[in-house]
Amino acid sequence: MTNKKEITCIVCPIGCKILVRTDGTHFELLDGNKCKKGIDYARNEALDPRRMLTSSVLVKNGEWPLVSVKSSQPVPKDKVFSVLKEIKRTMVNAPVKSGQTIIKNVSSTKIDIVATKSIKK
Amino acid sequence: MKNFHVAIIGGGVIGSAIAWELSKYKLNVVVFEKGIDVAFGTSKANSGVVHSGINSPTGSLKARFCVEGNKMLQPLADKLGFPLKWVGKYVIAKNEDETKELERLIKVGKDNGVPGLEIKDRKDVKVKEPNVSCYKALWVPTAGIISPYEFTIAFAENAAENNVNFLLETEVIDLRKVENYFLIKTNKGEFQSQILVNAAGLNCRKIVSMLEEPDFDIYPCRGEYLVLDKNYSNLVNSMIYPVPPKKLGVLGVHITPTVEGPTILGPSAEFIGDPKDKRTTKEKMTTLFNEAKEIIPSLPEKAVINAYSGIRCKLASPEEGGWADFRIEESKQTPGLINLLGIESPGLTGAPAIAKEVTRMISNSIELKTKTDFKTRKIKEKRFSEMNAKEQSDLIKKDKQWGRIICRCEHVTEAEVIKALSNPIGAQTLSSVKYRCRAGMGRCQGGFCTQHIVRIMEEQFNVDVNNMKLKSSNSNLFYGRTREKEND
Amino acid sequence: MVEQGRKKMINLDTDVAVIGAGPAGLAAAISARENGAKNVIILDRNSWLGGILPQCIHDGFGVEETGTSMTGPEYAEMYIKTAEKQGITFLNETMVLQFDKNRKIIAANKKGLHEIKAKSIVLAMGCREKTRWNVMIPGDRPSGIYTAGVAQAFINLYNIMVGKNVVILGSGDVGLIMARRLKFEGANVLGVVEILPYASGLPRNVVQCLDDYDIPLYLNHTVTYIKGRERLESVTIAQVDEKMNIIPETEKEIKCDTLLLSLGLIPENELSRNVEIEIDDVTGGPAVNQSFETSLSGVFACGNCLQVYDTVDVLAMDAKKAGKNAVQNTINKSKCVTVKAGKGIRYVVPQRINEPGKIHFTLRVEKPHESPTLRVIAGDKELLKKKLPWANPANMVEFDVNISAETIKSTDTLEVLLDD
Repeated sequence: MTNKKEITCIVCPIGCKILVRTDGTHFELLDGNKCKKGIDYARNEALDPRRMLTSSVLVKNGEWPLVSVKSSQPVPKDKVFSVLKEIKRTMVNAPVKSGQTIIKNVSSTKIDIVATKSIKK
Repeated sequence: MKNFHVAIIGGGVIGSAIAWELSKYKLNVVVFEKGIDVAFGTSKANSGVVHSGINSPTGSLKARFCVEGNKMLQPLADKLGFPLKWVGKYVIAKNEDETKELERLIKVGKDNGVPGLEIKDRKDVKVKEPNVSCYKALWVPTAGIISPYEFTIAFAENAAENNVNFLLETEVIDLRKVENYFLIKTNKGEFQSQILVNAAGLNCRKIVSMLEEPDFDIYPCRGEYLVLDKNYSNLVNSMIYPVPPKKLGVLGVHITPTVEGPTILGPSAEFIGDPKDKRTTKEKMTTLFNEAKEIIPSLPEKAVINAYSGIRCKLASPEEGGWADFRIEESKQTPGLINLLGIESPGLTGAPAIAKEVTRMISNSIELKTKTDFKTRKIKEKRFSEMNAKEQSDLIKKDKQWGRIICRCEHVTEAEVIKALSNPIGAQTLSSVKYRCRAGMGRCQGGFCTQHIVRIMEEQFNVDVNNMKLKSSNSNLFYGRTREKEND
Repeated sequence: MVEQGRKKMINLDTDVAVIGAGPAGLAAAISARENGAKNVIILDRNSWLGGILPQCIHDGFGVEETGTSMTGPEYAEMYIKTAEKQGITFLNETMVLQFDKNRKIIAANKKGLHEIKAKSIVLAMGCREKTRWNVMIPGDRPSGIYTAGVAQAFINLYNIMVGKNVVILGSGDVGLIMARRLKFEGANVLGVVEILPYASGLPRNVVQCLDDYDIPLYLNHTVTYIKGRERLESVTIAQVDEKMNIIPETEKEIKCDTLLLSLGLIPENELSRNVEIEIDDVTGGPAVNQSFETSLSGVFACGNCLQVYDTVDVLAMDAKKAGKNAVQNTINKSKCVTVKAGKGIRYVVPQRINEPGKIHFTLRVEKPHESPTLRVIAGDKELLKKKLPWANPANMVEFDVNISAETIKSTDTLEVLLDD
């Protein structure tokens, strides 16, 4: 049984509400998009929704107490909270360099968490 | 210390002025303040006006203390270093009918000993106040503006420097008279005192009722205010007060410059049930703004940067006309209890004179020996923002903390913030910083400075973020950390 | 006496002084260097560089400019590294107190009071957030009320959580981003309240900050009362009609301990007003010509202190132009054409044109339109007619128009307007 779902397109500020039918593996566009970009977006959203994650990691002995981090790639939506949980448990020592890997293969996603800021001691 | 000669209940302007006066003598004095700083209640939430005395009936205590206090203020400002400006007041009459009120006021004023009163023509007013339209106006030169919280803080801090004990977050919960002293039970322990001064403001009746059956009621009356951006402060030079209107629902809004810069509109007057209800209402804010716009048509809505309310402690109900005189008296039933009841306007102006009177009353029971080592208040340095370039440059060279500006809107420096946090009363909240050095009072309302003040509180004063308060014991600013630090 | 004072001040001379080291200031400074300025000084009131960027830890920055989506700190670091390589001088934790009509700047920092004589000044002071009182929300005055940017700074820079049960007023991007941030950090985000019938932030943020986490969005609502004698206890929200009047009996009290205000930004122009630079009352920033020069010769404005931008990319592009023009600062005495915001247009930048060429305009419309036609008219000549698929006030519109010398000579007013 496939389910009908409404996906708000985010490609441009119009934000078309696109109606699709999907079971997570198959995808069928029903209605709602005003352009082609919307179809690709809706398909990705329906079959493999991912999100770029940004958060903070505690820093020891740094000039700032936190270093901002991001996922090296968009994370599967259903893994977001387990990734965040692992980020919260992590601590790093100063100095930190922007781009430095803080967590490798976070929550077994094969995605890394990298620093987005440099923190001096 | 647990035994005192005088215990003052309430660290508002009255309690602090009395504490200061008493601190000149060899006495053990304590002030119980249930708030987290002095000037916690009505003392900081008023118009900041120094009244001349024209508004009080001849022969009343209000008239007496207003005129006496008025004369004492300039020497006190010079000695204690609080800001005071004699901007004068115009009482505005819109028509011939209202001019009768001006004539009445000038007569009362003269009878009360108020100097310099004059009725001015619309043309003369327009020259001095180009944005104000009127028919005639009463010019009151001995009216002024003061910072009511800096005024209170100056009294309190100098009193503390002269060994008056200020116990903050200390609420009196029970009182008993035992022979010739009072047993005072507070949430922070028990104390004794020979004399009890009830300067508890809106709680004055509550205090009396712990010892005797009160012969009065209090009628809290709330006044709301709007604060205007400093950019609109050159709209008026003096205070502009319309003749009290006869139309119902019309406030007769006052336009008051403040000594630190912004202009305030208000107050309203609304009798309320709960003396703690300091809310601001949409209705009054809109009325204040619209009435001000009638006097100053070019006023834009974005000119409003803050709104607050203060509650007057009235002794007369609206049915009784809402006016009653001060009651400053030793209780006949409970000797040693000195009550200050119904201290509303002109209580701010009258405070120094009231303090002298209360001290005189106390001298009937206790011999007052003058201290020889009274510490005068270290005269506050000018604010950084008031200094010229040379003064600023020299000061930064002497102490680099004057070179870092924490509050962008008011140009308040790190040195001033640190000084505010190091006050002798021991108050360390965001508000206590604000009221001492103005950081956070500008148009961005703390948008820039708050994070820097918090960092200073944490790093230089070791205040835990979980204990940082805005203005009272339970007005916590924060809820822990984004990431809890591990215990090393 | 005066001489002694002057000796004690730290005296500096520079070609270009940039006030503000946020994205606009950095871009302008680098551009000034690249266009021939020998000395460039940037002054910033914070100990860090990048302005608001270091606390904007989310991504979405620089997509147009670089092709990659960076976080705020990464975008800042990219510019800061370039600026450092170019030998730009930074004065951190330095507050500009004022500057005069001769472009002499007085600034203070822990080293002392500085007097900086600049050949040109670029204003890049950014903006401040609207506060509760700018919209006069009645009620008590408890702790727990923060503007979204201040809350963001505490959470992301200082490792301090502002609250646990949060309501957010305003659905602009800052408010939406903070909704997600708070949710990520374990707060209970009770809802985002928006007075308009649509969210004012990007749909991407509505989806990824609210929908993803089932955070309710109350459109056509506003906060009508704040309750809490010490810390915030609740807010009351109510529905509004098309005229933004409260609909009676729609009040709903939401228990919470934190209220985040995302009510909009106000360009910061205290320094500009102080020296009587002409301010456009609608943008809140200086009125500028196509070179981003203000009414004061040699003083240029860019970034959020000029107008509130949507993306850092467009902001940086304009800032670079301002920086370049600050170097090639020639006093242009040509006649000025006034640019008028006509029907349907809330404001247009630049507000004046005195040099021919391809001019990049930015504007905001007054209300949402579907398929409007943008027109630019000079006298009786139509210089541009462009159909837009949609337009709404939350999205800045940009377009280029070629203005000829002839047009400048023969017209007094250029009108920009919208036809349905």
